[in-house]
Amino acid sequence: MSEKKQQKKELIMQRALELFASKGFYSTTIPDIAASLKMSAGNMYNYFKSKDILAKEIIKFISSYMGEKIRTINEEKISTKEKTRKIIEVYFQTASIKPEMIDYFLRIYLANREVFEEGCEGMICVNEFVTEIMIYFEEGVRCGELRDQDFFSAFGLFMGYLGGMVFLKGEKILPKELSEYIDDISENIYKALKA
Amino acid sequence: MSKVKLLWLSGITCNGNAHSFLQYPHLKQFFCDFEFLYHPVIDSQYSLEEITACTLECDILLLEGALSESFKRADSKLTDLLWHYAKKAKAVVCLGTCASFGGIFAQSDAKVQGLHFNKDQELVSFEAFKEKSFNLSGCPVHAKTIADTLYAIKENYQIKKDSLLRPKAFYAYTVHNGCTRNEYFEYKIDTHDFGKLEGCMFYDHGCQAPFTHAPCNKTLWNEVNSKTRVGMPCVGCTEPSFPRLNLFQTKKNMGIQQDLPVGVAKRTYLTLAGVSKAFTIERLQKGLMDD
Amino acid sequence: MIKLIEKIEGEATLDFKIKDAKIDFVDISFTSTRNIEKILEQKPAFDALVINPRVCGICGHAHLIATVGALESCYEEIQLSNKAKIIRELTLTFELIQNHFKWFYLTLFPLLGYKQAVLKAAHAAQLMGKAIATFGGQYPHTSYAIVGGVTCEITQMDILQIQRYIEETIVFFQKNILDLESEEFVYSTQVESILQHKGDLSLILEKLKKEKLHEYGKSYDRFIVFGSNSSFHSGKSNRTRFSENLDFRYVQESEQAGSYAKNVSYKENYYEVGPLARAIVMKKSLIMDAHRRYGDSIFSRILARVLETIDLLLYTKELLSQIDLEEPSYIKPHKEIAQLSAQGVYAVEAARGSLIHKVKLQEGIIQNYEIITPTQWNLAGGTREKMGIAQKAMFGLESMENAELVFKSFDVCSVCTTH
Repeated sequence: MSEKKQQKKELIMQRALELFASKGFYSTTIPDIAASLKMSAGNMYNYFKSKDILAKEIIKFISSYMGEKIRTINEEKISTKEKTRKIIEVYFQTASIKPEMIDYFLRIYLANREVFEEGCEGMICVNEFVTEIMIYFEEGVRCGELRDQDFFSAFGLFMGYLGGMVFLKGEKILPKELSEYIDDISENIYKALKA
Repeated sequence: MSKVKLLWLSGITCNGNAHSFLQYPHLKQFFCDFEFLYHPVIDSQYSLEEITACTLECDILLLEGALSESFKRADSKLTDLLWHYAKKAKAVVCLGTCASFGGIFAQSDAKVQGLHFNKDQELVSFEAFKEKSFNLSGCPVHAKTIADTLYAIKENYQIKKDSLLRPKAFYAYTVHNGCTRNEYFEYKIDTHDFGKLEGCMFYDHGCQAPFTHAPCNKTLWNEVNSKTRVGMPCVGCTEPSFPRLNLFQTKKNMGIQQDLPVGVAKRTYLTLAGVSKAFTIERLQKGLMDD
Repeated sequence: MIKLIEKIEGEATLDFKIKDAKIDFVDISFTSTRNIEKILEQKPAFDALVINPRVCGICGHAHLIATVGALESCYEEIQLSNKAKIIRELTLTFELIQNHFKWFYLTLFPLLGYKQAVLKAAHAAQLMGKAIATFGGQYPHTSYAIVGGVTCEITQMDILQIQRYIEETIVFFQKNILDLESEEFVYSTQVESILQHKGDLSLILEKLKKEKLHEYGKSYDRFIVFGSNSSFHSGKSNRTRFSENLDFRYVQESEQAGSYAKNVSYKENYYEVGPLARAIVMKKSLIMDAHRRYGDSIFSRILARVLETIDLLLYTKELLSQIDLEEPSYIKPHKEIAQLSAQGVYAVEAARGSLIHKVKLQEGIIQNYEIITPTQWNLAGGTREKMGIAQKAMFGLESMENAELVFKSFDVCSVCTTH
């Protein structure tokens, strides 16, 4: 795919994310997204053959975006404790500057499984993100910093906690900015997972 | 045509390689082409005492078993015997993991080692012979590996070796290549119970086949079978690390296998595993012989 | 006078003390050890299943079966299917059989002036090797027998294949060792009638008689058998006084000066183990006849070993047919071995005699492991007043060649003894 086409796709996905966040997933249509970009609906279909396909591409896009950020952290020569903090930072940063991304993940991907049944079985569409979390955990246990336990117990603790905080922020329940909770949350998560 | 003269010396050993060799199906032809100046089980031209007198020469020197500075056979230091015979020999062949890397018996005493390696640490004492040495590791080594290597040496073939002196013709393969349980590995069907035709022992039961170099599932044992095919996990016996600890258990960190297939990066493996696990393949969820 | 005996799975030195041109005493020593019992300390229990077969290249499988039995005896309760028990007994027996063929053609032949028949020994060993590999994956050195059963699942086709290996070996036996219908041989009661038939066995036994060697090698006429399964039962016999109840607590090992082999005795007496011991304890008619005529001489020892070979070959066919494929091969123990702190002991009948394994576990980790091999029994080094079995057997002989013949009639395994 040409560079230009890829860029256009990302632009479309970004706009779609914003509209899904403000208008809702089911109320937003392909023509809506096309109009907001001053494109014809016919042209839109050249990039994404259907709304379902768009939905799946978006989740892969988000997974790839987050996955890359966490990969950078994983590859740093720092302790698991420091990596833990950095992962939380990057997650909350993304939630702050691109709230529609995490919002999409929590409110659309997780809440509307029927949309993603075919073509996004299991965790294949969030593979890149999940793989990096697996690597973080595996290396943490291997070097003795984290306690060995079932993967999903640890994953649920980490991601459930972060997702929950972002959800509360979205519901306008959290009094402070997400960044102000990083210290406590880092400590809580590390203390819970460490060996 | 005169027969190639073989001298089979035994170090600290169980004789497993000698008895593995007796499983070679073409011994009759072998004895037309080779003769043993000495062998621990088969009749040989000379007695052990005549060998230790060090007045003879051999074409190919074979060593089975680990070494130590003090170890003796018939009152002669093994290291002295090796020095004498290796000098004029065309090739030096280490039979089995003990001679190659120290193996199980390296654990009996700190001073017990292989000929050129102590586990994966290179040793210098016999460096002069390294170029013409071969490590046929395995516990024991397969009969065919021994015979084929000896024939290749006899024919003056250029035998390509890996960095551990093992002929690539046999040791480039992993035990995983050719195992009848491969599909359970390929599609990440990770349930396994002993005593079944189905299932892969890599996930939970310690199978080291994906990262152990040996042709066990290519050249079957006794021409008929292999350990992994009968549901016994590969214990990595051709590798310098043999024996590891907890051989029937897979070391996992947060549920993720610590040791992965040779040369496969963690990210690659986890991504493929993640994709495979998303799908259910009914045929592989059932018993092999089920309707 | 010191003689180095070689090709006994290693070597041993015999130091002969001569008096009046006869052997007055023999000091037997083994000059190296591999410290396997030490290697096992602090290892996880299941690792012993991989390490112990490496005690010996020719009888490693017996060590495997002894190990798994010793570990299982640490459990208060453990379930094994009949299928698993039969499969284990079959592979144990196949290894035993190939040992006897090797001894006959590689060790015995040269002692009586015949060339070693390597191809014959290898042929039988390869058939038995394939039979073991069909269940266990490979021979030598598999650890397919695990606590709770065996790792393999087998099919009808596997059974048919193994039947063919057994039958081929029986035909081979008849063609080479003794040209007599196997059943007839196994159930015969007269040694003389056996010798009428052609074969390598008659060749050997006739030569022994011709050279008047057949009554050599008599010892105390004391036999002991510890292993019990469907092929053998335990017991002891002292000059044909039989008793069945044996207690492991009376088995005592002791160090010997100048040798790495440890002595072993039962209630402070030395006993012979091996095929002759098994045949006497089970009162096999042909051997009882040989025993009546020639006592516990090399003649009886040799005949017992050969008889056991064909007897077991026939029996394995029957045992194989008893396998119920519907049964599970493996039953997971209700307790993880990591929770076990206990002691266990187990005996199997290996080719050369009783093999005993003792283990002590602490939370699934080996604290102590003791292995007592058959050769330790037969070659126990006593004093002039109280000689060991082989020492007594060599006493009074006039030549060292004859002494070597008597010594090797016990089928010595040096590596086992110097574990």
